[in-house]
Amino acid sequence: MTNIDDITRPLLEAANLTKVYEDGVLALDHVSFSVRRGQIFAMLGGNGAGKTTTVNLFLNFIEPSEGSALVDGIASHEEPLIVKQKLAFVSENVMLYPNFTAIQNLDYFARLGGKTDYSKDDYRDVLLRVGLEEEAHNKKLKGFSKGMRQKCGIAIAILKDAPGILLDEPTSGLDPKAGYEFLRLLDTLRDENRAILMSTHDIFRAKEIADTIAFMKTGKIVMQKNSYELEGQNLESLYMEYMSGTATGTAA
Amino acid sequence: MLLTIIEKEIREIIGSSKFVLIFGSCAVLILLSFYVGAKNYKLNRIRYEAAQAENLRQFEGLTDWYSIQQHRIFLPPDPLATLVSGVSNDIGRTVEIEGRGEINPLGSRFSEDPIFAVFRFLDLEFVFGTILSLFAILMGYDAIAGEKERGTLRLSFANSVSRPVYILGKLIGSFIALAVPLLLAMAVGALLLPIMSVSLTGESWIRLISIGSIGLLYFGVFLTLSVFISSATERTSSAFLILLVVWISSALIIPRASVLIAGRTVDVPSVDEIAAKKNLYSRQLYGEDSEKMGSFVPENSEDFDAMIDEFNRFMGDLADERDRKMRELSERLNEERYNAQKRQEKLALNIARISPTTSFTLAATQLAGTSVEMKNRFKDEGEKYQRQYGDFIKEKTGSNPGGRMVVVRMSDEEGETPEAIDPTELPSFDFQQENLSASIDKSLPDAGVLVVFNLLFFAAAFAAFVRYDVR
Repeated sequence: MTNIDDITRPLLEAANLTKVYEDGVLALDHVSFSVRRGQIFAMLGGNGAGKTTTVNLFLNFIEPSEGSALVDGIASHEEPLIVKQKLAFVSENVMLYPNFTAIQNLDYFARLGGKTDYSKDDYRDVLLRVGLEEEAHNKKLKGFSKGMRQKCGIAIAILKDAPGILLDEPTSGLDPKAGYEFLRLLDTLRDENRAILMSTHDIFRAKEIADTIAFMKTGKIVMQKNSYELEGQNLESLYMEYMSGTATGTAA
Repeated sequence: MLLTIIEKEIREIIGSSKFVLIFGSCAVLILLSFYVGAKNYKLNRIRYEAAQAENLRQFEGLTDWYSIQQHRIFLPPDPLATLVSGVSNDIGRTVEIEGRGEINPLGSRFSEDPIFAVFRFLDLEFVFGTILSLFAILMGYDAIAGEKERGTLRLSFANSVSRPVYILGKLIGSFIALAVPLLLAMAVGALLLPIMSVSLTGESWIRLISIGSIGLLYFGVFLTLSVFISSATERTSSAFLILLVVWISSALIIPRASVLIAGRTVDVPSVDEIAAKKNLYSRQLYGEDSEKMGSFVPENSEDFDAMIDEFNRFMGDLADERDRKMRELSERLNEERYNAQKRQEKLALNIARISPTTSFTLAATQLAGTSVEMKNRFKDEGEKYQRQYGDFIKEKTGSNPGGRMVVVRMSDEEGETPEAIDPTELPSFDFQQENLSASIDKSLPDAGVLVVFNLLFFAAAFAAFVRYDVR
């Protein structure tokens, strides 16, 4: 049962998160934001804006140069294994194991995530939930389209049953129907009180689904507004203004 | 967690078309090497028995043991030598026994069938040393870099998986997935031997199992090396290229280069040089003895038999003295050559042991009894037999063989045809293999080198992966 503290306390929090790579490139510059349970936070920005770096810092794939990526109050670089128990992840291009069937892939990643008590029916249910037809469940992934693989990736994230979900360009390359289905799925995950951090190029889908949108440019958040603040605004024009540097607003 | 990763690794490898293709080819080669080995052994056995029978047949009808000439002994075929041929096809397999003097094995398999010298035999040593090491590389080069390229590494480490457990799981899983099918193929191949009526002694089975174990150790070296290189590179193409260079160096270049370097560094007098020295000395001794023969005056010139006996004794004494002097020279020259050769060999092997292929080859041939020592062992056994033969002839005739004076009696004193000798009375040549414990002892250092290589690459893979960028 989720208590009131869980809802009000941020599950995902970037606190002055900074990353300077070994070659001296400043990928993330004192970025701060938070995502509570039942919220979708979308990071928008061009290539090299720092979106994927942010996701990588939460997953401790890289260590921060300064600040912390906190998950449920725990710094990911200090307790990576504990933090990862609370996170599920869907990458831009889900490849999985091509010689495994969809169910075998789900089974492996579920067990890797510590879930050992799922049955084949559970896997079938979740695959149906993400919109993968039953006839594909026992087929090897090497014949799957990108959309089908993406659905498997989302199913893996759902099976992990983690309170936080990180999505790195999840709709990239999906056809409109698959994109639409994906948004509906995110909706249900939000209803299940998950905190969702999503990096995306897709302004329209971000506007449709996100509770908060942040524009990122050269490692900084240049604008952050919630869906109420963005109501009635042309997000595309706003984005272009911020990216071209003509906008007058500052980060929220 | 570890079991999950091991299980996934096994299923992933066995389910891949790459494995089916590569393992299928390797399994066929393993079975073929056993089949060809068994066939060759049976053929060699038939040839060996025919040669032995022919050797005795040529003495049929002889009435005097002195008349025995061109008595030969043969290196008996061994099933293990056809599976791990080593030097067995390069060394002479036949020795002409004269009863005195130096013996010289002649008639190697390659001299009889030179085509095999060019293309060599398809045996387990080749399959393991060359093919299976390549198999390990082909299966292991993308172990980590491939997962990174596929994006599965990122997804895996989005879970609370520790890196040491992951790399351990990968190494154990891939070793089981690849080694167990190879063992099965070897077991089926070994079963072909009794099916094809090739019987192995209990000791030979132990040797064969030990060779298989050494083969797996060697396979493990290339597998751990592949995982290490894969963990140290970002791209599968880079890993494959590096491994290919390492494999070519290890399997093809280093063993040959080491012999070349040692050959340049340590000078060993050639067999021809030594033979020339021996011939020169032998001619000198014959010249001296010819003069002595010219001055031979029998004490008793009335009795022909007594005169012949006296002459034979005189000739025998000359031959004995000549033989002693030749033996002394031979021993000195042979020892000098042997010592220089040992220094050269030691240097070559020490350089070559940089390559695991060398350690595998040395350990496997040591266990099969086909190592570089095989030639000397056959020669030693031949010399032992020659002494036995000499004693036998002396017992039969009263004097040492090889006096180079043959008296053929057409009839005895009563004018009757003398009784023919029985060639089967000749002592039989029983080639003694090195005993099992000695072979195992000698193979242990190279097995140890392979264990060290395994541990080293395992630790390197571990260390590289702990710092690996999984993104």
